[in-house]
Amino acid sequence: MQRRLVIAILVACAVLPIAFQALGQRQVYWLFVISEFYVFAIVAISLDLLMGRSGQISLGQSGFVALGAYTAAILNQRFNVDLPLGMLAGAATAAVASLVLGFPATRLRGHYLGIVTLGFGIAIDQIALKWDALTGGDQGIHLHRPALFGVDAGTPVRMYYVALVALVVAVLLVRGLTQTRIGRAFAAIKDSEVAAAAMGVPVARTKVLAFIVSAFLAGAAGGIYAFLAGFVAPEDFGIESSLLFFAMVVIGGMGSIPGAIGGAVVVDAVKNAAATVSGLSLALLGGMIVLVVLFFPGGLKGLLRTRRIRRERRPAPKGVVRQDA
Amino acid sequence: MTQFLLQIALAGLAQGSLFALTALGLVMIYNASSVVNFAHGAMGMAATYVAYVLIARFEVPFALAFAAALVAAFVLGAVVQAVFLARLRNAPLLSQVVVTLGLFMLLEGLMGIAFGYNPRPMRESIAIAPVILGDLVLRPQDVLQLALLLILGVALAAFFAATKVGLGMRAITENTYAARLMGIPVGRLLAIAWGTGVALSAVAAVLAAPTTSVTPNMMDTIVVYGFVAAIVGGFGSMAGALVGGLILGVVVNLIDAFLAPELAMSIVFGLLLLVLYVRPDGLFGRAQVQKV
Amino acid sequence: MLEARGVTVRFGGLVAVNALDLDVPDRGIFALVGPNGAGKTTLINALSRVCPVAGGTVRLGDVDVLSLPPHAAVSAGIARSFQRAELFPSLTVLENLLVGLHSTMQTGLSGALMTPASRTEEQAARARAERVLRDLDLWEVRNAAPADMPYGHQKLLDVARALVSEPALLLLDEPFAGLTEAEAPRLLACIRAAGERCAVLMIEHHFELLEGIAQRMTVMDFGQKVSEGTPASMRTDPEVIRCYLGTGRHRTAAASAC
Ligand SMILES: Nc1ncnc2c1ncn2[C@@H]1O[C@H](COP(=O)(O)OP(=O)(O)OP(=O)(O)O)[C@@H](O)[C@H]1O
Ligand SMILES: [Mg+2]
Repeated sequence: MQRRLVIAILVACAVLPIAFQALGQRQVYWLFVISEFYVFAIVAISLDLLMGRSGQISLGQSGFVALGAYTAAILNQRFNVDLPLGMLAGAATAAVASLVLGFPATRLRGHYLGIVTLGFGIAIDQIALKWDALTGGDQGIHLHRPALFGVDAGTPVRMYYVALVALVVAVLLVRGLTQTRIGRAFAAIKDSEVAAAAMGVPVARTKVLAFIVSAFLAGAAGGIYAFLAGFVAPEDFGIESSLLFFAMVVIGGMGSIPGAIGGAVVVDAVKNAAATVSGLSLALLGGMIVLVVLFFPGGLKGLLRTRRIRRERRPAPKGVVRQDA
Repeated sequence: MTQFLLQIALAGLAQGSLFALTALGLVMIYNASSVVNFAHGAMGMAATYVAYVLIARFEVPFALAFAAALVAAFVLGAVVQAVFLARLRNAPLLSQVVVTLGLFMLLEGLMGIAFGYNPRPMRESIAIAPVILGDLVLRPQDVLQLALLLILGVALAAFFAATKVGLGMRAITENTYAARLMGIPVGRLLAIAWGTGVALSAVAAVLAAPTTSVTPNMMDTIVVYGFVAAIVGGFGSMAGALVGGLILGVVVNLIDAFLAPELAMSIVFGLLLLVLYVRPDGLFGRAQVQKV
Repeated sequence: MLEARGVTVRFGGLVAVNALDLDVPDRGIFALVGPNGAGKTTLINALSRVCPVAGGTVRLGDVDVLSLPPHAAVSAGIARSFQRAELFPSLTVLENLLVGLHSTMQTGLSGALMTPASRTEEQAARARAERVLRDLDLWEVRNAAPADMPYGHQKLLDVARALVSEPALLLLDEPFAGLTEAEAPRLLACIRAAGERCAVLMIEHHFELLEGIAQRMTVMDFGQKVSEGTPASMRTDPEVIRCYLGTGRHRTAAASAC
């Protein structure tokens, strides 16, 4: 049942560009919106790994995205580096930054980490604006047309598939991780540091590792974003966008990959739909976060699950043999 | 040069007193409930709109409007604790912190919808010309800020040392469960702590308003510096928060004068990381042990 | 063989464990008893590196236990359970057990790539966990969330998580407290079997139960060792009766308090 749903969604995503042809000129815009959403979903997954899975708050996730995007953009602009290498370089830069940040952060009690990551996000933003020799300041950086292993990838449809494949790969990697030793250690330190240490999990090191993996993924997403948009500028990566990623994870239901993606859908939709009234999307998302924490601790994912359980518990009508897939 | 430095120090202390006031409130709330209140600045900001509306629409005198803002802040803090956080008493700490972030977004968004993001001016709270003392210029506003910080700091310290409420709060900090068993009205005391903490944030916000103007994000910078001041002070020590705030104010003003004002927060966070590398519990904090 | 000498743990002014000596041979079941607040749990916390120790030495074989970082106790062969089950609620029962095998496994980030090596290791770990779960009759609920299980099952799982790494020294903190009559015998059998393979040091208030399985008993009070010997000899030891067992009316009161 679950598997069939996933395959159906994947197929739908794969054929979406064909359906979009009916939109004529407007398809370029819509392809970009959806591709951008895929990239945001990768960031949401990366943050969920850190926050939902290993219990560490980050309010500066867009700082890592910015590092990835700027690294890719600068390398592309100066050395004509292509998408795959640019993305990896962006991911690596973000990972290194997370190491610097993560080490003291792990020694912090409770929720100082939120504050330190908040500061990191602000700092990256300020530095990108100020250091214009490298980043172009508020003018930003334009990238060359992206290519993948020598093949031109600069059309909206091709970049759409790049983003989609990247999202699928990210999902598979994070799923693999959460189902094996390190991913379980992440959950263990979230639930009980004392018990985790008693079971042989090195708490501080594991926290930093979660931080690094999360930053790596967010940086990779940033790298892809740079090529997708063809342009990076500081306003794409402010505190507001960190809060959006945060909202995605909370609303989707912490600690779940489908939850993070679902949360990204909701947040992206709210953001786009409420863009005309300033403050509206912030208020809506804030309100949703409060409601989710108070009344639906499992978020979207928890909601769906309780509905499903209820449906399954409902007795089958007499004379009907239930066939559950 | 020394005169210039003195002037900077003075401005730093004045600005630092806003950070310190914010930090005091944060620490107060943290001590009582272990929650880092990310809505702290936003709640102070919301209360400032009360003062703003009273002054701008109804021409209420400043002192009265200030008092009304403090009452509003106290009520807001107490209600947030009683309505939102009390429900989450048994939830993981992460959920409680997440709720305060949600409230931060909600409050900023609501104020944005109601009043827009255009900065609204607020008059200086005291209309007295600056005092010239030798080569130094003393702004009455600065003096007011420092004076309020010191008065409130001393008052809080006395309150905690001398009253039953203070004693009860310390008991809750030590062990909420045991405090409840001992008949301490935990819910009421938590509400008082949140109310007082948010009122402190509102003091900072109203005092800041003539400089920052009244906007939904007027407290964003100040509250982040308030966080930093609280961390430097060990997040738990009121005296640490006070001193941390004042030091930070001077540091920020030095950065503005001699380095790059646009990078002030980046540099401050760089320094914070350095401090934390050396002293994970802040300059004035003490290490904590966990109980199984 | 565990050799603890002069172990001292302080919480501010309170000396929770006071210059305590303890020897635990390589195999067998040994008990730690004493009134509430005697410092039993704190001693186990000290031995398993959960809490910092103010003084003394602990050796397990050739290893200087107190010099190990907290997470290295397991790889040195010391595993423990908790007085109030300290599980990982966001993991399933089986996954909780697999965390117990953390230090016996190698897979790092490569787990994300599902490499053949990581899969093999994962399978082996699951097989090991399955054996322990079956022994404790928890296999049926392996995919449940710990919070959905009755408390007794949670306690069993907590013990299972310590058992699964096959430690040289198994520290159990009141493993029977909170178990139902149906659950207790399974655990008893498991502890007996473990005692054949390794050293089990368990805290337990239930004197009759200990008489059946413990070879030796250490009685603590106020952080110090009061007496040591076979369970039978402890029952008649005047010091033990004074501080722990009590007489007549007091005795039943003490027993019901636990
Ligand atoms: N983390 C801690 N901080 C402060 N005091 C502690 C801490 N842990 C234990 N104590 C104190 O140390 C003493 C010994 O406690 P411990 O838990 O070891 O007793 P115990 O023998 O296990 O008792 P019980 O039978 O009730 O489990 C008690 O007075 C307890 O309050
Ligand atoms: Mg105990």
